[in-house]
Amino acid sequence: MKKRSFSLGGLTKGPNFGWNMFLVIVLIAEFIIFGMKNSKFLRVSLLLNASNDFLPICFISIFVTFVMITGGIDIQAGSIVGLTSIVIGILWQELGLNVWVAVVLAVIVAGCCGALSGFFVAYCRVQAMVVTLGGSFLYSGLALLVASLSSTEMYKGLSIESESFRAFTKTKLFGVIPLQIILFLVMLLIAYILLHRSKYGRKIYLVGVNPSAAEYSGVNSRAVIMSTYILSGIAAGITGVFMTSQFSNTALPSHGSTLTMSIITACVLGGTLSTGGKGSVIGTALAAIIIGLVRFGMPLCFNINKQYLDIPIGLLLVVVVVGRAVASNPAVIAKVGKLRKKDAAGAR
Amino acid sequence: MKKLFKAREMTAFLFLVALFLVVGVINPDFLRGGENIAACFNGAIVYILVAVGMAFTILIGEIDVSVGSNLGLVAAVVGTMMQNGESWIKAFLFGLIIGIIVGLINGWGVAVMKIPSLIFTLGTNGVLRGMMFLMVGTKQVTDVPVAFKNLSSKSVVGPLTVFFCCTVVLVAVIQLLMSRTKRGRYFIAVGDNAGGADLVGIPATRTKVLAYVICGILAAVAGILFCSRAGQVTSLSGNGYEMKAVAACVLGGISLSGGLGSVVGAAVGAIIMSSISYLLVFMKLSSYYDNVITGIVLLIIVVLDALMQHRSAVNNRHARLVARTATAGVEKGGGEQ
Repeated sequence: MKKRSFSLGGLTKGPNFGWNMFLVIVLIAEFIIFGMKNSKFLRVSLLLNASNDFLPICFISIFVTFVMITGGIDIQAGSIVGLTSIVIGILWQELGLNVWVAVVLAVIVAGCCGALSGFFVAYCRVQAMVVTLGGSFLYSGLALLVASLSSTEMYKGLSIESESFRAFTKTKLFGVIPLQIILFLVMLLIAYILLHRSKYGRKIYLVGVNPSAAEYSGVNSRAVIMSTYILSGIAAGITGVFMTSQFSNTALPSHGSTLTMSIITACVLGGTLSTGGKGSVIGTALAAIIIGLVRFGMPLCFNINKQYLDIPIGLLLVVVVVGRAVASNPAVIAKVGKLRKKDAAGAR
Repeated sequence: MKKLFKAREMTAFLFLVALFLVVGVINPDFLRGGENIAACFNGAIVYILVAVGMAFTILIGEIDVSVGSNLGLVAAVVGTMMQNGESWIKAFLFGLIIGIIVGLINGWGVAVMKIPSLIFTLGTNGVLRGMMFLMVGTKQVTDVPVAFKNLSSKSVVGPLTVFFCCTVVLVAVIQLLMSRTKRGRYFIAVGDNAGGADLVGIPATRTKVLAYVICGILAAVAGILFCSRAGQVTSLSGNGYEMKAVAACVLGGISLSGGLGSVVGAAVGAIIMSSISYLLVFMKLSSYYDNVITGIVLLIIVVLDALMQHRSAVNNRHARLVARTATAGVEKGGGEQ
C-alpha cells in the first residue's frame, strides 16, 4: 500500500489525495464538455433535479466503501433497497401503520438483513462474495414474497397516500435545494467522521490491511467486519425509503435491482482497493457524482439513449483499472523515474 | 485429496436426488414416467454451459461476471443473422468468435494486467450489455427460423433432447480432459497456488487466459442454445445468468478461492438451480418462492461447508497435537494414547 502511494509521486499528501484530485479534474472536465455542448446542462435547478437519479448510488456506495475496505464486497445492497420499499408499503397498507413508523421499521429490517450477511461473513468465515450473492437472491425473493401478501397487483406497486411522505423528496430548501441533497451531505459527513476521524474508522482500515495483526492488537475484527455490513444495509434501507418516495410514493420490489454494478463501479473509481485496506469516502462520493453526471449529461447533450449508458460507464471502469494497473507497474515506474532524473539533469 | 473432490460433487448430486425425492413424496405426479425429471434436465442446458465456463474461471481463483451479457450479445447476433437469412454455420462461427474475443479481453485484463477479476469483468459486462442494446434496442429478435427453434425440442434418448445429450457429452469430455491430462490439471494447480505453479514451470498467465477463453466460448455456445430454446431475444436476455452461474458453481462444491472442485459439480449445481423454479409448480407454491429458496439453499450450503472446513481444521490440529505428545511420550519411554 505504501509503495503504491509512493508511485503516485508527490501528489499524495493525505489519504488518497492524488486520486481525489484526479477525480475533481474529471468532474470539472465533465462540466466543461457537457456545458459547451449544451448550456442547459449548467442550469442549477436542472442539475439539482437530476440529482434524484443518481443519489441512490451515492447513498449506498459511500457505505459499501466501508465493506470493501475491510476486504469484503457487498452485492446485496440493491436487493435490500427493494425489500425496504415493499416493507414500507405493506406495513402502511395492510397493517395501517403511520408512514414514518413504517419507514423506521423498514430501515431496521434492512439493518437486520445486513447483519445476517455480516454474521455469516465475519463469524462463519464464508467469502463475502458468496454470502452477499446468496443474500441478493434471498432478499429480492423475500421482497417478491412479501409483495404477494398484498391484495393489489404487484406490477402496479403499492401506492402510499401520504402527503408528508411525498414531501420528503419534493420539498426544496430556500426553494432551490432539494431535501435529499441535504440528506446526502449529512450521510456523507457521518460516513466521513466514522471512517476518517474516529477510532472505529482506524479499526476498519487495520482489519482491511492485516486482519490477524488487527486481532493481535486487540481489535475485535469480527465485530468490525459485521458492523460494516450492518451500515451498508442501513444505507440501502434509507435509499429504499428515498426511492419509494421519489417514484410517486409507489413501493415496488424491483426498486434498486439495477444498482449493483453502478455501486461497485463508484467504489472502485473512487480509489477503493477491492483487496481491502484502501479507500476514502470523499473519493467514492466524487466517483458516484461523476457517474451520475455521465448518466444525466450524455442523454441531454449527445442525445444518447439512456439504455446505452452502460457502455461509457463500463468503459470508464475498464480504462481506470487498466490505467491504474499500468501506473503501478514497476517497469513503468522505473521508466518515469529515469525520465524525471533526465529532466532534472537537463534543467541543471 | 481425491476423495475430497469426490465427496464435494457427491454432496451436490445427493442433494439433487433428495430434492427430486422430496418433491416426489409431496406430489407423486412428479416422479411418474420420468418425463418431468427429463424436463428439469432439458431446461438446464443453458445454465450448465454457463456454469461450466464459470467453473473454469473460479477454479483458477478468479471470476467472470460478464458471461450473462456475453451470452445475450451472442444470442442477439446469431438471432439477427439468422433472421436476415444468413447461413447457420456463418452465424454460429460469428457467435463463437465473439465469445473468443470477449474471453481474450477478459483474460488479458485479469491475467496480464493483473486487475482484480470481479472489477474488470464488471466493466466488460457493462460494455457488452450496452453493445447489445445498440444491436437490439427496443425491438426484439423474434423471427428465428422455425427449423432452428424446433431443434431444441427434438428428443433422442427417450424424452431427453439433442441439446441435452450433446451438453452431457461435452461436460464429460471436459471433465476427462481436466482430470486425466497434464494441461487439464494446470487449471487446478494455478487456482490452488498461482505462484507455486509458476515456480514449477506451469505457464500461469497462459492458463488463466485460456480459462477465460474457454469461459467465453461456452457462454457463446450457451447463447446460441438460448436463441434456439427461447426463440426470441430481447435487450435484457441473459441478464442475471452470471450470478446464477456463480451460485451453481458454489452449490456444486467449487470453492470460490480457487483450486478446489470440478466441472461436473458445476453442472450438477446448475441442474439444481434451474430445477427449483420447475419444482415449485409441483409443490403448488407460487414462483415468488424461487429466489427465496435459491438464496436459502445457497447460504445453508456455503455456511455448512465453511463450518465443516473449520471443524476439520481444528480436528486436524488436535490430531497432530495428540500425535506429537504421543511420540514425545514414547521418547521418554512410556506413553500410550
